[in-house]
Amino acid sequence: MDKIKIQTVCGFGCGSSLFLRMKIEEVLKENNIKADVFCGDVGTCLSQPCDAIFISKDLYSRIEGRAKVTVVPIDNFMDKNEVATKTMDFFNGINKE
Amino acid sequence: MRVSYETIGNYMFKKENILTKVKAGNWTEAIRIAGGLLESSGSITSKYTDAMIDAVKEMGPYMVILPHFALAHAAPSKEVLKDDFALITLEEPVLFGVPNDPVYIILALCAKDGKSHMDSLAKIAKVLMEENTIQEMIDAKTPQEILDITEKHLL
Repeated sequence: MDKIKIQTVCGFGCGSSLFLRMKIEEVLKENNIKADVFCGDVGTCLSQPCDAIFISKDLYSRIEGRAKVTVVPIDNFMDKNEVATKTMDFFNGINKE
Repeated sequence: MRVSYETIGNYMFKKENILTKVKAGNWTEAIRIAGGLLESSGSITSKYTDAMIDAVKEMGPYMVILPHFALAHAAPSKEVLKDDFALITLEEPVLFGVPNDPVYIILALCAKDGKSHMDSLAKIAKVLMEENTIQEMIDAKTPQEILDITEKHLL
């Protein structure tokens, strides 16, 4: 399987999405999972190749139902528990396929 | 190893881009003050400050990404003259109407493109996500103290 690509998305792809990316990378490292995490903006995220989009709940409705990949809405980018649970749920889901 | 403030200034905050214990009546005023620092540094035009305020209104207040802390910014554009950061702390907090309220710290960011500032912002993010940083910054009385806190957590 190719390395999984996760896109973290905020309004402009250059601010809070970086904070989320770092949190997810922390979780991946702790769980020994190798994946690429990169930042994107809400306007172009649907056209960027990736396996999942992690996006703030505020922006979720803008892409809801239009993405071809798994979209994971995040309430609080900095809540390690939430980010860890949702990240691991995503990876556990892929492994079942 | 001691990192000099000059070094920190290269990728973090310049002292003149920091204000502590500022008075602001509401969140828009707070973002205007932070944007004003970037304007004084010659890093943005005033249109960028307007755009930061519009961004919160349009995109939603998820920009309050940590308890008591908001990351104000707008899209990279021609209103940005150079990549820069400004940080203000408030004497009395302002409300954005989010769970992470009340907000005491505004970090304003301007970037010429989507990538160039990422390394600096990652370093700042790392400092901010340390457990005590936010509270220490709220308590800081001078810009120098903010720099000291930043330096301490960077090492």
